[in-house]
Amino acid sequence: MKRLFVLFTLLLFMSSSVLWASVGPSQKIEQIVNSVLKVLNRADLDYAAKRKEVSGLVQSHINIHSLSQRTLGIHWKKATPEQRERFSQLFVQILEMTYLNRIEDYSGGRVDYLNERVKDDKAIIDTQFVSDKLEIPVQYKMIQEQGDWQIYDVVIENVSLVRNYRSSYGQIVSDEGFEGLFARIETKLAEQAAATEKL
Amino acid sequence: MRIALLLIISLIFWALPQQLFAADKSSRPSSGGTVVKDDFDAAFDDDFADEFGENPSAEDAPLISDPLEGWNRGMFWVNDKLYFYALKPVAKGFRLVPRPARKSISNFFSNLATPVRAANALLQMKFRDTGTELGRFLVNSTIGWGGLFDPAGYSLGWKKKSEDFGQTLGHYGVKSGWYLFLPLLGPSSIRDGVGMVADQFLDPTRYVKMKEWEYYSLKILEPINRLSLDPDTYEGVKRDALDPYLFIRAAYAQHRLANIDK
Repeated sequence: MKRLFVLFTLLLFMSSSVLWASVGPSQKIEQIVNSVLKVLNRADLDYAAKRKEVSGLVQSHINIHSLSQRTLGIHWKKATPEQRERFSQLFVQILEMTYLNRIEDYSGGRVDYLNERVKDDKAIIDTQFVSDKLEIPVQYKMIQEQGDWQIYDVVIENVSLVRNYRSSYGQIVSDEGFEGLFARIETKLAEQAAATEKL
Repeated sequence: MRIALLLIISLIFWALPQQLFAADKSSRPSSGGTVVKDDFDAAFDDDFADEFGENPSAEDAPLISDPLEGWNRGMFWVNDKLYFYALKPVAKGFRLVPRPARKSISNFFSNLATPVRAANALLQMKFRDTGTELGRFLVNSTIGWGGLFDPAGYSLGWKKKSEDFGQTLGHYGVKSGWYLFLPLLGPSSIRDGVGMVADQFLDPTRYVKMKEWEYYSLKILEPINRLSLDPDTYEGVKRDALDPYLFIRAAYAQHRLANIDK
């Protein structure tokens, strides 16, 4: 009986992980985008409340390791494990700050899913944000880890975020070293935290 | 002067076609939910062949070289001050003009710039794009009330092509050269600066007889109007980026590269 129970739970567990794995990359993007848009479209929330709700919705779907590695590029190799860890932690906060700040600019719109390309463990999803004011092509680059598709770059109007950060941060690291970069990020985060406090 | 008059007269009539096209827009089918799947295409590997893979072996080439960084940062500072103390207050006041009217002003300027886009598409032997631009000009100048509306874009789906002489030079292999931050005009490069000068000759307002102040008012109206339609982008970058100068430089370089590849 016990054996049967174990087998049963094992099967259940397996089927659910299979289910999870079957969520394709564009479906995944759709889920993330919809969960965010649902909050943004709520009329009963003000800006500060929306920030709170959206915070954390996206973070778990970002492949922080891959993103940090690509952002530091050549400097990643030179970095100590502690520096890598520190950078990843700070960078995630910068990213979150950036997209939370964008919430203020949002005033309605929908997302069209145009194209999905998958090769091995990588995928590129082409979408378009459409509002009455503008149309912005947004491309998501994803990587599959343990069956789960995670975002490692966002390309907005042909401008890759990773590449932009890489170019900026690369110069800062070359000029001021890792400590200089960390100090700047911390100053920026403190500045923003103070601004958010006032909301 | 004629243009100013035309503008005012047409503005009075903006409401009618605006309503027509607004109705038209809402009935446009949404492609949301339908995902075209193809497992592989030629562009796919290109999109993944980013030189910033997991294990870069060398310092990657900078997106654009910037030996004039000192001067450029100075001009960046000047533009930043101009933005906050001159352009922004004016653009803010300009927002009293109803949004659809400002959109029409933007369409009007965009329509006037057709010769630049059409000629450069032609120079790159993109005949289809040249045709699109000429078709857009015909439709928007007539049915679109002298360019105030863009029926070619949202009714016929003829989207505007981004072309200029800087891109034409890039298309034929001319590299961007040094990054150049220009007062008032913003981010550019040696190549794109030369392109801008060349494109000036295709600007029809140059050949319309008007007083100097009228010409410059017209020229300054465009950026102010554009800013009133998009007040968030610059301030967003300035707020979020560790070093806005570096961020804008990288974005400019990437944006130009992508436009040239198209």
